[in-house]
Amino acid sequence: MPEQNQLPQYGYVGKIAWIDLTDQSVKIIPTSNYAPKFIGGRAIATKIYWDVTKPGMKAFDPENPLMFMTGPTTATGIPTGGRTSVCAMAPNNLPEQFCWGNIGGWFGAKLKFAGFDGIVIVGRSQLPVYIKIDDGEITFHDARNLWGTLTHDCQEKLRALHGKDAVSAVIGPAGENLCRNASINTSNDNVAAKAGFGAVMGSKNLKAIVVKGTGDVRPYSVDMVLKLRKTMGNPQRKANPVEYLDRCAFRAHINFKTKPGEVKKTNVACSHGCNMRCNLFVLDAKSAFPRKVTNQVHKCIGVYAFQMTEDCGMFPGMFFHTEKNHNQACLSQGAQVPPPPDTSDPHLEELMKRRPGSTLNFWDGDYDRGNVINDLCTQYGIDKWDVIVWLMTWLVMGKRTGVLDDIDLGMEIDPGNEEFMKHLLDMIVYRKGYWGNLFAEGMARAIRTLGKEKYGDTIYKGIISNVVPGLQLDIPISFESSWGHCFHWQGRGFQGSPPPGYYLSATLMLMTNTRDAQTNSHVHDTLDYMKETMDAHKACLNRKVAENAFMGEIKAEMKECITCCDLQSPQIYWPDMECQMLEAATGIKMSVEELYLACERSKNLFRAILMRDSGRCRAMEEPEAYRPLQYPDCEGQTVSPEEFSKLVDMYYDIWGWDREIGWPTRETWIRCGLEDVAEEMEKLGKLPPDRTNKS
Amino acid sequence: MNEKKQGIKERPAEELGRHIIQWDPDISLCAGCGACEIVCSLIHEGVSGSRSRRIFFEHDSVQLMHKVYTCQQCLDHPCYNACPLKDKAMVIDPETNIVYVEEKECIGCARCVKACPFEPKRIQINRNKKAIKCDLCRGRENGPACIEYCQCLAIGMSDDSPPVPGVVVKV
Repeated sequence: MPEQNQLPQYGYVGKIAWIDLTDQSVKIIPTSNYAPKFIGGRAIATKIYWDVTKPGMKAFDPENPLMFMTGPTTATGIPTGGRTSVCAMAPNNLPEQFCWGNIGGWFGAKLKFAGFDGIVIVGRSQLPVYIKIDDGEITFHDARNLWGTLTHDCQEKLRALHGKDAVSAVIGPAGENLCRNASINTSNDNVAAKAGFGAVMGSKNLKAIVVKGTGDVRPYSVDMVLKLRKTMGNPQRKANPVEYLDRCAFRAHINFKTKPGEVKKTNVACSHGCNMRCNLFVLDAKSAFPRKVTNQVHKCIGVYAFQMTEDCGMFPGMFFHTEKNHNQACLSQGAQVPPPPDTSDPHLEELMKRRPGSTLNFWDGDYDRGNVINDLCTQYGIDKWDVIVWLMTWLVMGKRTGVLDDIDLGMEIDPGNEEFMKHLLDMIVYRKGYWGNLFAEGMARAIRTLGKEKYGDTIYKGIISNVVPGLQLDIPISFESSWGHCFHWQGRGFQGSPPPGYYLSATLMLMTNTRDAQTNSHVHDTLDYMKETMDAHKACLNRKVAENAFMGEIKAEMKECITCCDLQSPQIYWPDMECQMLEAATGIKMSVEELYLACERSKNLFRAILMRDSGRCRAMEEPEAYRPLQYPDCEGQTVSPEEFSKLVDMYYDIWGWDREIGWPTRETWIRCGLEDVAEEMEKLGKLPPDRTNKS
Repeated sequence: MNEKKQGIKERPAEELGRHIIQWDPDISLCAGCGACEIVCSLIHEGVSGSRSRRIFFEHDSVQLMHKVYTCQQCLDHPCYNACPLKDKAMVIDPETNIVYVEEKECIGCARCVKACPFEPKRIQINRNKKAIKCDLCRGRENGPACIEYCQCLAIGMSDDSPPVPGVVVKV
């Protein structure tokens, strides 16, 4: 087994490329400058960002380092290791802040096969350019003929130019035109979308990165890798046929009749080496473009373009587990049939008792419209969450409340009409006219420009709970949660049915983040935890909620560092799964506690950046996170600011952060091995005062 | 699966031996994880990488109609016939009639690769300048590892019955 203070010969490939687009230069940095202290992925990217950036940098400044960073499991064959962290200053966050994302596909694995653990892209090219990485060689190529292409066309052209084994990460017109919600797209319609990193690529005049690699990646233990392939996610070996349906039946609440055989569906894996097939895959779907039909991959959100008459419901077993039944959420996300439950479980009925989504009646079922909207988002390279969950719902609620009466978008506002959505997204992506330019700034900024009081906070009275049947849930027309992102299992508006133990923990995780955190932090715990936290007021006094959020954030760091996937981690009944993954890849044997500490290091360094660059403190983040909690959950429960504050107190205690100001104490920095950061914080006046004498 | 549809240069079925096939999407669509080539290279070479695989997974980035190319185990053994060290470097298994490579004897001349009648070629020269080809994981207790680790049952043996949807297969 390798020494833990040296870069192992297993898992990592040893090099990070520093690519400067301004002078088209490349510098090689040894991965050992960072790893294994910073395990990989987001942890390395965070350390690089801390080292090389200064406060005041904006997302579209050439200095903004856009980083693609793999983990030690990437390309080893360990399931879910194919995912890759993407980090930079994010344009779609409000305010702009350092941010993370992650992307599946084959891009990260190819980077490793090409000889790089990661790449850092800085500078700005004078003309449109794309980067080619080919077995250790990095070259720059004229992208003027690619500029303007849709994401699929761009990937296919690059494949035609560089061979079938070439994999690319590209932007579409949205990224080129600096739409703040622009995505980076790669194979399998995988995207890094929420932070708006596609616009960062656009700001650098970087259309694409294409990678070819024929190198090897050697894991420490083949036997351990093979064992993980059979155990992680409890995979089923069963056939994956294309099904020909006469219903669009992608969820319990997305279920309507279509022409016989019109819906052709099955499932696909999202990334290199995964042993699951969580993603829904529809074939021969209507395209928004001259291709006429296309195959599309849907993760959780795309399906809501097909129908949104009812909000997303949930059943406890998706997130809360018993010893006998603890399948991960992935088995229900991709419209897969999960393995039959263990019926000897006395809690089975509770696990399966559905908490239905609220009645919304935003748009009726339309298979073609759903496919067209998804295709528009994918091909333009724009975030589906911003479009489907926020823009479209806002248009419906804004119109029904009369708020949009004085807005003329050139067609009757009707998100249920695919022609209207084509018209609207064309305006936005190409920044046509006042409205196109406004919404290209992302929903959070657009609503503030219009006037948040009227255009954001007007209360909509048309949402009716189905958990407490008939209960009217008054929430704003804008599904905004925090940091410029929209609701995502926050217990309000969209995905509003989880119980308090879920959404309070999710809110804490969102609080210390800079973006929607639920893409890598779905809440998991025992069924007992859920039952103990059903009352929102009492849950605010329950330390277990704060502990759950802490675990969720630590596990999120693990997922982004090792790397791993939110749909296979955390496993409540397999707490050292990630330790086993790390050991299988690198030979580094860490206890759960040691791995937790490594992840605390990464998270605290992330916090250091936010403190240094964005003034992050309790007074800034607590009200930002609290805002949605003032509105009713699906049972009509709200939480007061004082109640939420008590939860925040406990949460800061667990992290070792000062309660009053929310900054890590000197002891916390030192415990995490970040003495240099403690010194820097002291210079900045951001070490909390010693309060030990106060008591 | 229809060989033409799979993009394989056609040879009559009676000229092919027992080999690994990719099922039609209506039987089971390849989910595109690449587990087949990953476990192939891991089990045989201890690494993950395209130069170490004996099964050739061709990833379709956009439309996701992935292809899996495998040695068809031709009954007339053109690879064996082309080998200057036949019966030492390239050997026919007397029990299965399948050609396998004795790597320590292989001189890496690549004549076997040239002789392979298929495109893409089903034999490659690895990093150690040795020919590598699928021998159905000769001697492995559970048979071909690619089949064992394909979660979708999207590949199988040419003389297998197609997998039944919904039926979980355990090895």
